[in-house]
Amino acid sequence: MIPPTIPSSVSGSIESTMLHTLAMNDYFQDLFFKGRGATEGGAHSDDLYIWLWWFCLAWFVFLMGLMAVFCVLYRRRKGKIAPKSPSHHTPLEVAWTVIPTLMLVYIFFQGFRGYMNKMVAPGDAMEFNLVGQQWFWSMTYPNGAESTSVKPIGAKAASPVFYFPADVPVRLRMNSRDVMHAFWITDFRIKQDVLPNRYTTLWFQAGLSKNPKFHPKDATEAKAMGMEFIADLAGVPYEDHIVFCAEYCGNEHAEMAATIRLVPMDAWKKWMDYIENPVGKPPRDIGEFVWKTKCASCHSVDGSPNTGPTWKNAFGRIAEFSDGTSGPADENYIRESILYPAKKLVKGYGPNMPLISLKESQIEGVIAYMKTLSEAGAKAAEPAGEQK
Amino acid sequence: MAHTADTHHGDGHHGSYLERKGGIIATIFDWATTVDHKKIGVMYLFAILFMFFLGGVAALAVRYELLVPVTIDPNTGQVQGQFLAALFGSDQPTSVSPGNNIYNRMFTLHGAIMVFMVIVPSIPASLGNFLLPLMLGAKDVAFPRLNLLSWYIYVFGSIFAVSSIILGGVDTGWTFYTPYSATTDAGHPKVVLMVLGAFILGFSSILTGLNFVVTVHKLRAPGMGWFDMPLFVWAIYSSAIIQVLATPVIGITLLLLVFERVLGIGIFDPARGGDPVLYQHFFWFYSHPVVYVMILPGMGVISDVLAVQAHKKIFGYRAIAFASLGIAAVSFIVWGHHMFTSMSELASTVFSALTFLVAIPTAVKVFNWIGTLYKGSIAFNTPMVYTLMFLFLFSIGGLTGLPLGTLATDLHLHDSYFVVAHFHYVMMGGTIVALMAGIHHWWPKMFGKMYNETAGILGAVIVFIGFNLTFLTQFLLGTQGMPRRYASYVPEFQYLHELSTYGSWILLVGFLIHLFNFLASLAVGKKAPANPWGGMTMEWVADSPPTEHNFHGDPVCTHGPYDFDRVVPPHWDPKDYPLPAPEAGGRPMVAHSPDKHD
Repeated sequence: MIPPTIPSSVSGSIESTMLHTLAMNDYFQDLFFKGRGATEGGAHSDDLYIWLWWFCLAWFVFLMGLMAVFCVLYRRRKGKIAPKSPSHHTPLEVAWTVIPTLMLVYIFFQGFRGYMNKMVAPGDAMEFNLVGQQWFWSMTYPNGAESTSVKPIGAKAASPVFYFPADVPVRLRMNSRDVMHAFWITDFRIKQDVLPNRYTTLWFQAGLSKNPKFHPKDATEAKAMGMEFIADLAGVPYEDHIVFCAEYCGNEHAEMAATIRLVPMDAWKKWMDYIENPVGKPPRDIGEFVWKTKCASCHSVDGSPNTGPTWKNAFGRIAEFSDGTSGPADENYIRESILYPAKKLVKGYGPNMPLISLKESQIEGVIAYMKTLSEAGAKAAEPAGEQK
Repeated sequence: MAHTADTHHGDGHHGSYLERKGGIIATIFDWATTVDHKKIGVMYLFAILFMFFLGGVAALAVRYELLVPVTIDPNTGQVQGQFLAALFGSDQPTSVSPGNNIYNRMFTLHGAIMVFMVIVPSIPASLGNFLLPLMLGAKDVAFPRLNLLSWYIYVFGSIFAVSSIILGGVDTGWTFYTPYSATTDAGHPKVVLMVLGAFILGFSSILTGLNFVVTVHKLRAPGMGWFDMPLFVWAIYSSAIIQVLATPVIGITLLLLVFERVLGIGIFDPARGGDPVLYQHFFWFYSHPVVYVMILPGMGVISDVLAVQAHKKIFGYRAIAFASLGIAAVSFIVWGHHMFTSMSELASTVFSALTFLVAIPTAVKVFNWIGTLYKGSIAFNTPMVYTLMFLFLFSIGGLTGLPLGTLATDLHLHDSYFVVAHFHYVMMGGTIVALMAGIHHWWPKMFGKMYNETAGILGAVIVFIGFNLTFLTQFLLGTQGMPRRYASYVPEFQYLHELSTYGSWILLVGFLIHLFNFLASLAVGKKAPANPWGGMTMEWVADSPPTEHNFHGDPVCTHGPYDFDRVVPPHWDPKDYPLPAPEAGGRPMVAHSPDKHD
């Protein structure tokens, strides 16, 4: 019996190479996975999968081959009756029960070893807090700052990008604010359900590949690449890994993606220092980011209808509420709507808005951003800007 | 030479069960109030095929939506590629939400119909009802009135569930996972309707199962011991036990869900103090055994069709019979493998180990079937083509279960398209393909007409091509990282999704060929002989179609179900099937009747 492998240090706990021998394996690695698992546990389970592929293929070809040969040899011929043949054979039947059983025991243990590697994080793993919510992911870094970058994935213009240091073990402590979600990092071959009533965890340790991408060196390059320019990360290599939500969670389940971006440790630390203290970042930009990552799935900024009212020309108008009253959509109203979403509902909309906890600076940001989206607000914003 | 000479009987009570009783109203009334297991079986067959059609339309809609990925035009901000939204009149959308809404309702509809209303009842309720008493040499099932009630409950439950579509559809997925199912469309009755529909269908399932268990125990013909029963009966018996034991659990679970939605009692919703993972345990405690309710009867069909069409005693009869019971027993302790990503490491490990147990009896059956072909006399007609297709597709379905049961690889494949492909290979490649084999095999017995063999084989081959194109591609989508239940996808997956959608269209063509073939057979089919394939079991003693009371007199079992090597099949006639008589004489199975000259 193979003892469970609980890695104290990550390297060398699994003999991936033992399974990775056949020459054609690279072809199947590419066909099945489009590249090799980017963590040690991922690479091991790829090897195990390909080993299983050969195992299954051998059985399948053997059984279907027998079937085909019998079908040809013993096809019905006119006037010829089937010869007498045994209708059971005890040694044969015992053999074809016992041998597959032993093989299955072996497969189980291989799967168990890889599983323990994927599930048990090293004691010194760096911890991050991740929240799943209909229909976005958000993350708090160890220093308490929230992730602030986005990139387009599929039909969603702004999916969050989470920065992680490369080559160190990282542990995500995850929970959900509403229904069940699942965090699937396809390149790492791991997945964990995210539950509303308890924390679940997931860990990984991945490095940069031999051919990483690089952050833009200046603003013009950034524009050409469709990325935002970050002075602290200029020219820093990075590696992106896509994240999907894998547990059905409602309407925009298919758009609930994210990116895990690995950068070298020193660059990551520098970037963390920056986002912890966004000195000089205008409130409007903070607000726009909050909208992109947390509000955009329900509130448009171009006047188009959605689950919630549009923000275009929302600020400063007289809003009609579902209880028949009306009132001005001013700073107080916006603040109240964020903190107590169901208190006043705009006429024609249901109580669909979840409670999204925002920091004071983020609420200020949302107000500042909404002002820029309406004519009335743009005027009102000017004295506010002078006050700052 | 011995065969039954009692097929031509002038007595009116012994006419075909399909004989019309007067005018159209009288005929409808006669069918609606019948307690004849054959009529109930045929009514089930038509109801199930109709639901298969509905579920198939939903499947085609799902595949059509996934033909291209959804994109947003960077200039106009408009959503592109949402076919269903366009079809249902939402033009110039600027949000993916309306299109997602329709897609999510479609895949829920497809899953709920296909699982609860098609695959679970498919073979037991249609072929099982029709054949079980015939194979046992009985006049009917043990509780004929209960049997009719089960059919009405099935129809009532289906109407309940499908009525939720008219109210706008349900988007919970057929698994109704909490807390989403407890909160979506809050205050609207449609989710409750769908859940109650599934609850009601459960009763139909329990009553049918109970009826079958008692029938097998009490109504076997004189001389028929447990090991003289056809393997189809063993399979129906095993699955009936699961139905009786497991279905109450889902009934209670669904009822708890309704309580939570309607009365606000917190059982699964953490916001009210419940636990959503508890729901998954309850749900899979039923739904995993039910996977074997779906597949065991299919295995039974395959065992019987294979033996008859290969004219060969089944290899390892007892092993197959005990494997059925073994699968039924083990199926109750493997539910946790649906939850490797939401359980503790210890529980996952235990369930993974137990899961591998279930692979063994399944593998044994496949070995036995292929062993049966050895030195047989294999006919190539539609039932046999479908049977070989079953062996091919079910083997893929079974083998791809290994990387899912293996913990390390499942963490990647769980809830991906790999799972979708795997269970379609088992449920459709297994159960539906077996149902097609069974329908063709017993069609002459059920309706007294032959179908067109060329059209049947053509349809089967097209279904085979379409099926593999649709679902082989989905294995690759799964390993490459495509999650299931996605209304859209990243562009890298488009090529494989496109192929899969084309496959679904080919499948449609295949099934349409079968539909026309059946209709043509009913209209102008050649009259079927009593025993067109030279089968040994008791249903082939009866006429085609059988008389109202199945047999002329009371049949006695005189030999095993697959003794092709020593007994002349009933109604043996060299004109019907060109086989010489076996060398040495066992006695044919005959209906012994005191008032008959036999």
